[in-house]
Amino acid sequence: MICAGIDAGSRSIKAVLFDTDRSHILASGLTDQSVEQERLAAELFEKLLKKAGLERSQISGVVATGYGRNAIRFADTTITEITCHARGVHRLVPDARTIIEIGGQDSKVISLEDGGHVRDFAMNDRCAAGTGRFLEMVAARLDMNWEKLAELARQSKKPALISNMCVVFAETEIIGLLADGKPLPDVVAGVQNSIATRVSALAGRFVSPPVYFTGGVALQAGMARALEEVLACTVRVAPQPQFTGALGAALSAGPANKAGDSGL
Amino acid sequence: MIDHCYDHVEAAKAEGRPIVGIMCEFTPREIILAAGAVPVCLCGGSAATIPAAEQFLPANLCPLIKSTFGYHVIGKNPFLNWADLVVAETTCDGKKKMFEMMSATKPMHVLELPQKADDADALEQWTREVRKFKEHLEQRFQTHITDEKLRDAARLMNRERRLRRQLAALLMRDRPPLTGRQLIEFKSIISGIEADLRQYERALEIFGSADQKPPTTNQQNKSLVRVLLTGVPIVHGAERVLELIENAGAVVVGMENCTGLKPILDDVDLDEPDPLHAIARKYYHLPCSVMTLNTRRFEMLRSLAATFRPQCVIELVWQACLTYDIESFHVRKLVEEELHLPYLKITTDYSPSDSARISARIEALFETIHARLQ
Repeated sequence: MICAGIDAGSRSIKAVLFDTDRSHILASGLTDQSVEQERLAAELFEKLLKKAGLERSQISGVVATGYGRNAIRFADTTITEITCHARGVHRLVPDARTIIEIGGQDSKVISLEDGGHVRDFAMNDRCAAGTGRFLEMVAARLDMNWEKLAELARQSKKPALISNMCVVFAETEIIGLLADGKPLPDVVAGVQNSIATRVSALAGRFVSPPVYFTGGVALQAGMARALEEVLACTVRVAPQPQFTGALGAALSAGPANKAGDSGL
Repeated sequence: MIDHCYDHVEAAKAEGRPIVGIMCEFTPREIILAAGAVPVCLCGGSAATIPAAEQFLPANLCPLIKSTFGYHVIGKNPFLNWADLVVAETTCDGKKKMFEMMSATKPMHVLELPQKADDADALEQWTREVRKFKEHLEQRFQTHITDEKLRDAARLMNRERRLRRQLAALLMRDRPPLTGRQLIEFKSIISGIEADLRQYERALEIFGSADQKPPTTNQQNKSLVRVLLTGVPIVHGAERVLELIENAGAVVVGMENCTGLKPILDDVDLDEPDPLHAIARKYYHLPCSVMTLNTRRFEMLRSLAATFRPQCVIELVWQACLTYDIESFHVRKLVEEELHLPYLKITTDYSPSDSARISARIEALFETIHARLQ
């Protein structure tokens, strides 16, 4: 049986085709998010079908997740990204007990119990502090791509302290730091640390190892280390961190959609 | 019931009955009724009046206080405009200081609430405060509040509380015949209106009858999750989070807050020789988060969990409501470690901008509950 998962995130749409009989990913892909997200998702879905050499009729279920999940009307059902990331990460790394997911506008800390069920979770509310939006703002302000930002952060000897939690005010603070002659690597490393600090406040009471890091921001080198420092424990980047939500959605569309079911 | 509250107040005004605005469940309505006046709740539930309030009040203040004051600034709450007196109380600091500003143009009486609920002399201090309130009303409205009038008022309020309690108790059933949203719609902003009490009786007959076939599942054919809601009051117009919870596939079977069960579980003891003391005692034992220690709230949560059998507890905190926000630490601990139920805290205000995010968290909670049931 082949199932599809679509994760309509704030910055990109991710999709996964999963073969439940052979228990493996047939195709995965992503596209930038924009208005008309249902059309974008449908195009991505078609592209993956083509890549895998499949017809739409061969797909037995489609589950949508992510903040735009309700806009994907061709999906059979919707499931929140919290449950989907838990299922996706648990499938890839069954020993995971804590998941830190940082996306474009969200950050979440999910704690798992035996079998991969969600035990508890925390999520940022109205504010974009501690999310990928923060890094994007810095990248745009410095006119640099993400790789360059990560490379700069690595060179830092003494990360700057960014005290503003608000993305808008932090931008002003960063400009001020640079104007005062703070080295660029220290400012960028400071931004990474401030995201990590914010996420650790969110995690508060429930970080039990092993901790896995997922979501688009996990792709940025240095972020996992920044999290390790504030959480004082090892943080591993989950395999295919951008796709764990879509994978979890595809798994949920399968025949036995219980998390932790080894038949998946 | 707002329309008919409007008619009621208009008629009372025409008869020359004074209108007394209240903003807290600690304010003893019986004293106001015994003075021949009409107690009207003035708590604001509209996001639209908040910008006007923020000209004077800090943005980082609870939306209930800002909304209430915003109505005062723009003069758009007819009940507040009609009020001959506003009764304020020293519960949270935000309200206390807001009342000072309101008192510049509104006649006001402040009740001081002792906040160490278990102190030996606390209730006596509160009783003195209630007595002063009675004397103030007598003087202001040129009336004499007899013990008989107090008992009559307490009898009326006991009847109202009993009817509301019975209606709320219907949600204890395995298949609740009405939703939490429907239940809260019955709550009137004015107490002691005979027409309201008859409506409660009719509702009890209709919803209580055996041939009610309430839905037990949502669109996805999953059973509705039973939720106990705790935390801040949900005043008229601010029902958004309640709706988000029930729209995600749940029934809010119990509401442990000031617009729900909290103020209606206890009655005034009519056998007590001094009715004023009996009234003071009933009101004083309200487990509000301004009290320290607020152990009565935890007792109430234990008892509601046992009788309403929720599958999770959701706590609603209005942004910048410090006492409920901090006390949520103890509530979470109680719910998770003692009641062994999942707990979710939602901090928000009256603006709908975070509805999608709140829904995601509620849905994830329900998905977890369903997964455990499987």
